[in-house]
Amino acid sequence: MMMLQHGSTQLLCLTASSGVPLFTRGASKQLPFSVIGSLNGVHMFGGGQGVELSCCETEGGGRVVWRVFQDSVMLIAVSAGGQGGAGCSSSKVEEVRLQRLLENVWSCMVLVLGQDELTDVRNVERLKRDLRSCFTLIDQLLEERQEGILGHLTHCADSLLPPNPALLQEAVDGFAEAAESEFGCLVVHGRVAAATEKWWRLAPQEVVLLSALMRSLSASGSASCDYPVFLPKGSPTVAHRLLRFQLLPGADVCVLCGPTPSLHRAQSELVGSFWTPLVETLRDCLAIGERCLPGSVSMRPDVLAVLLINREARRSVSFVRTPTNHLPSEPPLPSKARCWELLKLFYIFSTTRYFAQEETLSVSPEERAQRGHHEDFVLGFSHQPLQCYLVTEECKSYGLQTPQHQLFLLTPLSVPTFALRTLATQTLSDIVAATGF
Amino acid sequence: MAFANARTCTEETPCSGREEEDGGEHDADRDSVSSSVNSPDNSDDLEPEWLDDIQKNGELFYLELSEGEEEAALAQAAAASQGVSTNHVRFSEEEAEIITEQNKKQRCGSRTKGEPALTRLARILRRKRRPSQRRGGGKDGGKDNSTSSPPASILKNQPGQRQGVTVQQQQLKEVCVYLNPKRLGGSSTPLSDGGGLLEALLGVVHRPSWSRGNTAVVRQEERLTVHGLIPNSPAIKCGQILIGDVLVAVDDVDVTSENIERVLSCIPGPTQVRLTLETVAQGDGGSASDTSSDRKTKASSPPVSQLVRLLWGEDTAELQMSIGHIPHVVMYLSLKLDSASPQEEEEILYQYPVSEASGQLKGVRGIFLTLCDMLENVTGGQILSSSLLLGKQLVHVGYCKESNNLLVIGLPAERVPLLYLQTVVGDVVRTLKVMYGSLDNAFCKVDHDPRLDHFFCLFFQQLIQPSRLRDGSSAPAPDVSGTLFLDGLPAVRWLTLPPEIKMEVDTVLSDFESSDFGEMSEDFFGLRRLYVILGSCLFYKSYLIANHLPKEDLLDVCLYCQHYCLLPLASEQRVGQLVIWREVFPQQRANGSSTVPGYSQPQGRHFLLIVGLRHFMQCVLLEAGGCASAALGSTGPDCVYVDQVKATLLQLEVLEAGIEERLNAPPAPCLSCADWFLPAATARDRLDSLASSSPVFSKLAGAVKGSASGSRGRSLFGEKARRSSPQRSLSDSGSEGQMDAGSGSVSSMAPGLSPHSTPDSGRKKLGGRRDSLGSGGSDGSGGSGGLFKIPRMKHPNPFYLGTLKKTLTERETEEMYNTMKLTSGAENTLFHYVLMETVQGIFIAPTHREVAQLSGSIHPQLIRNFHHCCLSIRATFQQSLPARGRRAADRPQGGGWGLGPVKEHGVLFQCKPENWTDQRKPAPTMTYWVIGRMLLEPVPQEFYVCFHDSVAEVPVEMAFRLSFGLAL
Repeated sequence: MMMLQHGSTQLLCLTASSGVPLFTRGASKQLPFSVIGSLNGVHMFGGGQGVELSCCETEGGGRVVWRVFQDSVMLIAVSAGGQGGAGCSSSKVEEVRLQRLLENVWSCMVLVLGQDELTDVRNVERLKRDLRSCFTLIDQLLEERQEGILGHLTHCADSLLPPNPALLQEAVDGFAEAAESEFGCLVVHGRVAAATEKWWRLAPQEVVLLSALMRSLSASGSASCDYPVFLPKGSPTVAHRLLRFQLLPGADVCVLCGPTPSLHRAQSELVGSFWTPLVETLRDCLAIGERCLPGSVSMRPDVLAVLLINREARRSVSFVRTPTNHLPSEPPLPSKARCWELLKLFYIFSTTRYFAQEETLSVSPEERAQRGHHEDFVLGFSHQPLQCYLVTEECKSYGLQTPQHQLFLLTPLSVPTFALRTLATQTLSDIVAATGF
Repeated sequence: MAFANARTCTEETPCSGREEEDGGEHDADRDSVSSSVNSPDNSDDLEPEWLDDIQKNGELFYLELSEGEEEAALAQAAAASQGVSTNHVRFSEEEAEIITEQNKKQRCGSRTKGEPALTRLARILRRKRRPSQRRGGGKDGGKDNSTSSPPASILKNQPGQRQGVTVQQQQLKEVCVYLNPKRLGGSSTPLSDGGGLLEALLGVVHRPSWSRGNTAVVRQEERLTVHGLIPNSPAIKCGQILIGDVLVAVDDVDVTSENIERVLSCIPGPTQVRLTLETVAQGDGGSASDTSSDRKTKASSPPVSQLVRLLWGEDTAELQMSIGHIPHVVMYLSLKLDSASPQEEEEILYQYPVSEASGQLKGVRGIFLTLCDMLENVTGGQILSSSLLLGKQLVHVGYCKESNNLLVIGLPAERVPLLYLQTVVGDVVRTLKVMYGSLDNAFCKVDHDPRLDHFFCLFFQQLIQPSRLRDGSSAPAPDVSGTLFLDGLPAVRWLTLPPEIKMEVDTVLSDFESSDFGEMSEDFFGLRRLYVILGSCLFYKSYLIANHLPKEDLLDVCLYCQHYCLLPLASEQRVGQLVIWREVFPQQRANGSSTVPGYSQPQGRHFLLIVGLRHFMQCVLLEAGGCASAALGSTGPDCVYVDQVKATLLQLEVLEAGIEERLNAPPAPCLSCADWFLPAATARDRLDSLASSSPVFSKLAGAVKGSASGSRGRSLFGEKARRSSPQRSLSDSGSEGQMDAGSGSVSSMAPGLSPHSTPDSGRKKLGGRRDSLGSGGSDGSGGSGGLFKIPRMKHPNPFYLGTLKKTLTERETEEMYNTMKLTSGAENTLFHYVLMETVQGIFIAPTHREVAQLSGSIHPQLIRNFHHCCLSIRATFQQSLPARGRRAADRPQGGGWGLGPVKEHGVLFQCKPENWTDQRKPAPTMTYWVIGRMLLEPVPQEFYVCFHDSVAEVPVEMAFRLSFGLAL
């Protein structure tokens, strides 16, 4: 009898020193405490012996990943295997997903509570209570409810390319300046449409998390809010104010600022003056919908899904076409949700095996060890992988990497394999030419 | 008789000895020492050499290198004497003591107790008999005498010795020599001669109280001064034992005239011993440097690899020590808690090795036990692996649970990627099961410990420092991914043979398998036969050339061979004689998974007999019980069967030339070298370097240089650049025409002189060659072969042949189209391939020699990369296999089941030449695909291929072309 439901993931958080459970999230049925205790105990015991347990795999694709942050908080992610039993998800893929999850959850906790409160825990009960404010954000990461948001995986900001970026850029710059801030950002459909230059200089992880925070704040429905945030990399101990204003349903603007201006002042004086003239532009933006690309970019009909990453800017655009089967004789195309999933899996697959991520190359070996070494395989190649493809029973996937970009796309099985490469390069050049992404 | 051929090379070392010592007696001695002891000895009245090595439980592992190799062992010994081992002994004597003691114990333990006196007697008898036997042969003796060079003075060999009179001081030196007591059989020196083993075995002549001569009386202890050296003996071959030295110790055991015979008689089999000698040393450094340079030259000759020493059971301590800092461990843990047991650490049923890093892993065994027990309940599956950080090193731990016990194997991540851990663990578990029946059987018997230690020592050495095992052998450094990948395939490397040879091999094997020989026939004695031959397979230089075993049995046998490195051994070193006998538990038969109704496997015991002679190795699977008489107790090898296999191998030896020819034949399908696709600069350098060695090349290189200077550009791959890259044309066996067209200066060159790739002239022989791999045996009829030949093109590309087509004769054109090419397009763009036939359990890949011929600097890199990528591709296929089994029926819709079954997977790589110095130009690049394809129809196959990016390929077609006619 297994305690976790198939395909579900449970997140356990404990204090690293004393093993007091702080919270568990995910999965409908919580694991019994004895299991939580043993999972923690096993890791703790290893630590005492100079052995750090990092991950475990079981038959059927089940997986457990441990990680201790700042010697104070222990996070454990347990995922039960998929329904299908062994080999359902490619072994590394699941591990990387969980590693990323733990990283993001920790950053989330820092973002909301600040590092100090997490590292020297004086009152566990109080911490437990405070942590509740992270739950919406953590749940969002766990459940990956919103389709088309891949930032937590790629650590690249999900972006939306507006039809006329110059206007919006100007408005964001002006708005941020007026709010005495260098960090301003316009979010449309949960994706960054425009942001100040300094905003892009934030750590990619922070940009992604702030976008996630914006999404959860705007989901709450309030017109504006003033939210204290710590930047996990930039200022984990000093809080900034995140001022968020809803411009239109689905379009929000935010700035990161110091003590001034007050929310009220900004709301009444700045928002109106900067954004009212641009309502039409914003509507155009919203009209793009989840496609993320302006209408000027024509996409070939045999592209099911695209994920394009700008490696330098750490931004990504992605979209999935609503599948339309023209001929009944053809094998059914995967559903939209499945396409998103396949895209994610293929991204992880390619990056863990072939395309080294930027951070891989820059981080020190020790830090890499922390991340669970999933890049080791990549480093074993004596020549550099440029492109790769997979043919599965559902679709064909193609990934390519240039110094500037990474592109991942899915096509139906009907596209001949030898044409994939041309298709991919053409798609890349089309998008880049049309939008300058 | 073919036995005359069995003699291997006669050594031609500058043999030296004192003239006055070198009487007729010693001549005879030399003859016999060098004469072929390793020739298979199957006359009925003589015991085979391996008889002493049979263990109590009937198992036998007997390995003897051929003459040439032992020669090399000497050189190794010389090298080793200045290597680690000496230091190790010098500075930590205690440890050395311990090690030697252990070794001795093992050695003594491995001998059959109670019999030595008898065997010794037998040996003496044999010795007496030998000379007459040899003289009967006649050929040996004559050959020996003619080839041995006149003995030179040993004093001349050591220049330092002459001036040695000047300053003399006593000094200890250590010399390692290789001794083979088995060889004694050939010696004509009777023991009563007074020299005893010291003379016979070591070749050191010591005359007790020099003046008294041979009067052998019981004398008091005396220092063992070297009074003379016997030609061709180990002592003289090592070149470091001088007359006048005093032998102080053997393997750290002090020796005198009193105990030397006893000490030497303790040497059970071929081994290396370390002699400590007191010598007269010179004051000046000149001689020292002289000798050291001497040693160096010796060291450069290929020595016996560590692997052989490991197989002999030597040196494990030292090898193990050298990887002591790398965390790796194997433990067999009990999940049952029995609190009544008084033992400490009772849950550890077995552990290896005992080192600091592994101790740390042992310390956390609680983790493994807990996880194994708990996770099953949490995630609903057995634990497969976990990753730990030990300090800074990542260790992957693989698990295998059997009943209430848990096997845990920890390996460093840098050697075994997690992707492949399961395959590695799975293979080792299967090997253990084949050898012992079950894990419990393997680990829970106390007396298995030393054997398991040896087993896992080999296992870890192969994974962690493969290069160390092979060091000194001529083979290139093994590439780790390649070994992992190829060994992990559930298949054996196959060599396609020309049909005539193939047929003969099969016939010989079938004859053997029919068991229709003398003593084995039931009619002969009216007894039930001892064993039924279930089948056998034949390896030549690590390639499987014939298989009459069912697939699963073949895999079992092959796993065993792989584990004990028998395949590389046979390919790199000429094996004098290899006899292995042991009980095995073939997995297929043990599990009784026969699906045919009404038929059940006979409940018998199975034995594996492996006999190797030189490059041939035959593995025979025997069954006792069933329709043969049941085997009781621990059964040792039966001489009759061993001799029959040997006879079979000798019979096959006549085919060696044919097989060699096949190995030397140009690769089919043609291969290209990656370096040819890189631009002019590098290629030209390479040609230059080659030109110096080969006249053909110098011609070529000249021509190429002339034209290459005219070709500018790194844009080699652009359409128009093709013409201007004459190097490229070398790669294309059918493109002499292009050569001429590309550079007018080459007109003097005869067509067919493109020596790199696969000259047409060489191909001609292959013209009618069919790749029928038919085995006449149990696997059924031989498939009539197809050919790797591409169908004749209807419209030859005028670009390449345009002008020259007229001048080529019809026949030549014909040949050009006959060349087997896997890739499409005019040029051959294939770099490497691996095709696995899942059903037959074999795979084909370019032979080592074909790869070596391509040389180049980038190419080996490319192949390493190819294998590394294949690891990933195959892992992808593996992961999708179980999912495929279930099909779409119960597949959940929408999420939760990964990428799904993968059919084809490809990766495009880019390579740049290393150390590109030209600042102005960007380094030229070459891109190539590595593609893996899994086919289920018509026969399950996995195909991995690596080709240049210029032509889009359809891997299915390539696989088809390659496998056409491969069916057994």
